[in-house]
Amino acid sequence: MKALRPIVATLAVVVVLVTVVALSRRRAAPPPTAIPGETPAPTQVPGKLVLFFPGNDAMLHQEGREVPELPEGNPMRVRLVVEELVAGSREGYAPALPWAAAVQAVFLDRRGNAYIDLSTPPADAVSGTDGELAVIYGTVNSVVANCPGVRRVQLLLGGRQVTTLGHLDLSRPLPPNPNLVAR
Amino acid sequence: MRSSRVLALTFLLVPLTAPAVTVSTPQGPSEVFARGDLLDVVALLRLAGAEVQFAPAAGSYNAAAAGHEVQFTPGGSLAVVDGKLTPLPGPLRLVDGHVVGSLATVGALLGPFGWTANGSAAAPELARVGGTEQVELSVVRAPTGTTLVLRGTRQRPRVTTLPGLVMLLFPEPVALARPVQPAGEVLAGELDGATLTVRLAAGIEVASSYPLEDPPRFVLRLAKSEPAAPLVRPKGGPLVVLDPGHGGEDLGARGPAGESEKAVTLAVAQATAARLQAAGVTVRLTRDGDEMVALTDRTALANRLQAAVFLSIHVNASPARGAHGAETYYMSVDASDPQAAQAAARENASAAPDTVQLILWDLAHVANLNSSARLARAVQERLNALQGIRDRGIRQAPFVVLTGATMPSALVEVGFLSNAQEASRLLTSDTQEQVAGAMAEAILEFLRATMPGPAGTSAPSP
Repeated sequence: MKALRPIVATLAVVVVLVTVVALSRRRAAPPPTAIPGETPAPTQVPGKLVLFFPGNDAMLHQEGREVPELPEGNPMRVRLVVEELVAGSREGYAPALPWAAAVQAVFLDRRGNAYIDLSTPPADAVSGTDGELAVIYGTVNSVVANCPGVRRVQLLLGGRQVTTLGHLDLSRPLPPNPNLVAR
Repeated sequence: MRSSRVLALTFLLVPLTAPAVTVSTPQGPSEVFARGDLLDVVALLRLAGAEVQFAPAAGSYNAAAAGHEVQFTPGGSLAVVDGKLTPLPGPLRLVDGHVVGSLATVGALLGPFGWTANGSAAAPELARVGGTEQVELSVVRAPTGTTLVLRGTRQRPRVTTLPGLVMLLFPEPVALARPVQPAGEVLAGELDGATLTVRLAAGIEVASSYPLEDPPRFVLRLAKSEPAAPLVRPKGGPLVVLDPGHGGEDLGARGPAGESEKAVTLAVAQATAARLQAAGVTVRLTRDGDEMVALTDRTALANRLQAAVFLSIHVNASPARGAHGAETYYMSVDASDPQAAQAAARENASAAPDTVQLILWDLAHVANLNSSARLARAVQERLNALQGIRDRGIRQAPFVVLTGATMPSALVEVGFLSNAQEASRLLTSDTQEQVAGAMAEAILEFLRATMPGPAGTSAPSP
């Protein structure tokens, strides 16, 4: 029995140290937890998104889209909405986001504002007032339509706040603009 | 035997130990991960008592304590502090599973929780901010002018000016490190809780105010209160400011063969101006040639001239290549919120905004929404009457160039350069003259309907 004591003690030390290391690593890669401001799971029909694309009348047109899985959390929904906007319309409308925009980060605050950091568009990718309106309100209207609790959206580009793409004010969160939607 | 086993285990674990620095905190020293000059942000926030969580779906971290909330993300240089987007001094990076940033960046993230990060990256010191900020006001004179510098505050006070004095309204109370001494333009200073009132010498006013970092301070630039000489509004008839969109390096939209929007807008604006001038209306253009003019400077010109009408002229483009026709915008109702009003007043007023100015601006802006809608309608109806132009109607959107306008204002898109057929028409001088004629008629119609007295009613038709 006495001969086993050093082994037991060593094993105890190993267990403690391994636990400490595991915990410290867990801190470095924190566990998935909901961030404040996130709203409860949506109540609309699961698996369906509402997206907005510009038509030849340069108005935004609503397009419903079935998706295999509708994420419960708004951050994942924002990513999905942007991915589907980048994928383009299936009903023949023009692109709302005319570059392979990737969501780099999403911030949600308690006031219903969503800050979406998109990868920077290439030069001349967005041109003209209606081109800007398609990017901005195609995204804002789509995100607000699919993310319960989100009321306004501010687009960031390449990790930076931008004042404008040339015409419209991007310096603050914007509410959806219904008067740009085709009826 | 036993000690040798423990020693061996210790050696085995050494490679798992990360590089670290010792941080001095009120609770005593603590070790955190560091790489070069970059420190583990999450660990330091936790040392300051913040609860830090990671949202994998958003890719962002959320730190919360004492009713404050800060969100940040590795790879970004922005944070959301209590719901407000805030630039960080430097980017956050992910190194070996740790979010790291410079000492200044750590300080910016700790600030909302009432903590500071001092010392150096090799020996950082965390300290709790001792309650009220100790501020010090000094007068700095330079060849470029005189400034009041308020050191020791990270707050953004609201600046209110009245004849002979300036009031700084801080969000939180501050304390004066030493009494304000009279010096030149500054006659006296008095602090009452969160309001610092500074009396200024006669003829001196605050031209602008802004915060600066490293060290944190708030600056008020002083100027003599004489009005700007060259921009005097002519007496008598109405004055119209036309804004040819884009210019200089900013080409605007491009036509099928690379034609630029900036050339079309200038030609149309000049032709419109000629027709208005022939009808007795004074006209100023925001640019007379191929030059770059900031959006806010365009509106500021109209405000300083107290123009009766501000019309920004553009040519459109759309990702939908079939899109064609003309449309006219006026300011979105949403942009009349107080935040936009303050920003607009700040950018456009010749002096810093005071409360009265802001209230007047807000009232004028809301009243102008109706007039702007009427102006937009007049422009759109006249364009609709031209053959071959499709009516795309009147719309509202938050245009930067319209945000600060203190008079009826609109932005007209006379057609689409992205539509080959329409572009070919818009590039001809005939169409440009027709469009200019329609806009001049619309402006004259608007002036006749809205301007009291002979200036408006006597405006002849072109």
